[in-house]
Amino acid sequence: MKILLFVIFLLISVCKFAFSEEQQISDEQEIIAMGDIEYGEYLGSECAACHHQSGASEGIPSIHGMDAEVFVTLMLAYRSKLMENPVMQMIAGRLNNEQIGSLALYFSKLEPPK
Amino acid sequence: MSKISRRLFNTGLAAASVGTLAFPSISLGALPRVVVIGGGAGGATAARYIAKDSNGGVHVTLVEASKRYYTCFFSNIYLGGFRNYGSIGHNYYGLAVNQGVNVVHEWAVSVDPAARMVKLGSGNTIPYDKLVVSPGIDLKYDSINGYSAGVQDKMPHAWKSGTQVQLLRNQVMNMKQGGTFVMVPPPNPYRCPPGPYERVSMIAHQFKQSNPTGKIVILDPKPKFSKQGLFEAGWQKHYPGMIEWISSDTHGGLKNINASTMEFETDLDTFKADAACVVPAQKAGAIAMAAGVNDGDWCPIVPASMQSKADENIYVLGDASVAKSMPKSGFSANSQAKVAANHIRGALTGSKVFDARYSNTCWSLIAPDDDVKVGASYVAGAEAIDVESKFISQADDSSETRAANYQESIDWYNGITADMFS
Ligand SMILES: Cc1cc2nc3c(=O)[nH]c(=O)nc-3n(C[C@H](O)[C@H](O)[C@H](O)COP(=O)(O)OP(=O)(O)OC[C@H]3O[C@@H](n4cnc5c(N)ncnc54)[C@H](O)[C@@H]3O)c2cc1C
Ligand code: HEC
Repeated sequence: MKILLFVIFLLISVCKFAFSEEQQISDEQEIIAMGDIEYGEYLGSECAACHHQSGASEGIPSIHGMDAEVFVTLMLAYRSKLMENPVMQMIAGRLNNEQIGSLALYFSKLEPPK
Repeated sequence: MSKISRRLFNTGLAAASVGTLAFPSISLGALPRVVVIGGGAGGATAARYIAKDSNGGVHVTLVEASKRYYTCFFSNIYLGGFRNYGSIGHNYYGLAVNQGVNVVHEWAVSVDPAARMVKLGSGNTIPYDKLVVSPGIDLKYDSINGYSAGVQDKMPHAWKSGTQVQLLRNQVMNMKQGGTFVMVPPPNPYRCPPGPYERVSMIAHQFKQSNPTGKIVILDPKPKFSKQGLFEAGWQKHYPGMIEWISSDTHGGLKNINASTMEFETDLDTFKADAACVVPAQKAGAIAMAAGVNDGDWCPIVPASMQSKADENIYVLGDASVAKSMPKSGFSANSQAKVAANHIRGALTGSKVFDARYSNTCWSLIAPDDDVKVGASYVAGAEAIDVESKFISQADDSSETRAANYQESIDWYNGITADMFS
């Protein structure tokens, strides 16, 4: 899982670089642009049962203060079942792009773990 | 008495003056008032979200009988010797101090839906605009011949946490070497469908170390149970020969329990126990009946909002509700509370009301680092809460996956308790 995450991060950075050269908007940015933060706060209450502010080293990571684009990439990876965890596949599986964008806006504004 | 400070309200002095002054609604200004009965998985979450998200725009009172809430979730983990009892206890300071919830430690004894008033054990009344009822379960002791509140310390149910769970742990630890432990799970529907079988797993884990020739017999009133394949495979692997599950089809029904001789009489045989856990049938907590929102043992709700079908000003959460197809779990109650909180704020303050969405995940520990999970997401149908998608652990999961599940469950425990009480 860790390796996969790393590969995804690499991919994002490469893509960001490629796109910025051509002044294009990435899929992630487009999804974030659809978001509504108030909706994100409501949708995010579902996540709070498992993801809490301080997070943990193993098990369930904290998602507070996560970069919005990284957040979207990860959610899309769970939704497409590229990433394995069945809980997160179920959670992401029922979120449309607007909802993922709303959540990205909301979580990226929260205070990251200390 | 233009304003009652929250702290003052909690003191007997304020309670007395509130009683005599009949608690005029103007005393709290024009703030809409929510009263929540029951500070468990459903009620604490609802109180917290309404207070937090309305930023002081709604006056929230939480009526909870106990000063400390010991979670039923993870009580089995305690029984297995993985945690101490103190670690599953929580208080209400966070709700009072961080969220400004007015926490009243009393029993709610009745509800007057027409006057929109809750009456407390002290005789005081609290008015509400919206009422949330999340009292959990009461036990139907007489659902089993020979079982009663009078013998519950001899054969603990330990299904409402508290001292019963500690008692059960002592009885497990002190059972005679090579003795027989009898577990009687409840009939459907009941709180925490995999709970009795996780409990058996945890007792077996304890026996493996302290009483390796001990036996466990499960006299089930049901012909099948939650995550059955996963539990049975786990029992075979970790506790071969120790656990015998006897289906209702095989024993033909529990006819009688004799608490003094510790005998369990069925059509098949009479079983003699050296220690036992007996969990009777269940129903919604009594205050739900007093509020008149029940239909029989449980309370029907509107799937889109968790409003009672009997009274639109009353919301019923958690175990007490008929939240078909959601299981009665802490996770479900917490999830339902967020939908209700959003709906209540909308009704009282005009904030935006979003679509109802529910989810649940239940982890069960079978043995150290062998944890299985089952979960689903739900949507509000017209008549019931319907399953949208679901998952369950696989028989051929790697041992890393099973160990990761246990880590997840610990983080979930920390997450949900913070989501209820911080
Ligand atoms: C052994 C066991 C293991 C479990 N494991 C899990 C698990 O792993 N995951 C999971 O999600 N769920 C689990 N559960 C289920 C979970 O505990 C319940 O489903 C959950 O607590 C239900 O929440 P609730 O709000 O309906 O009731 P509760 O959490 O029981 O809260 C009700 C509260 O209301 C108070 N109250 C009741 N009546 C009144 C009144 N008249 N006045 C004032 N206060 C009142 C009570 O004191 C109590 O604090 C388990 C249960 C058991 C028994
Ligand atoms: C039932 C518990 C649970 C719920 C509810 C839940 N998650 Fe997760 N989440 C997990 C687990 C477990 C992981 C780690 C999964 C893995 O190992 O790939 C995770 C991982 C993540 C990650 C990746 C974090 C990282 O640093 O790798 C994101 C992003 C995420 N979740 C977002 C969400 C959002 C948004 C919600 C609510 C809509 C949510 N989760 C609800 C359990 C949950």
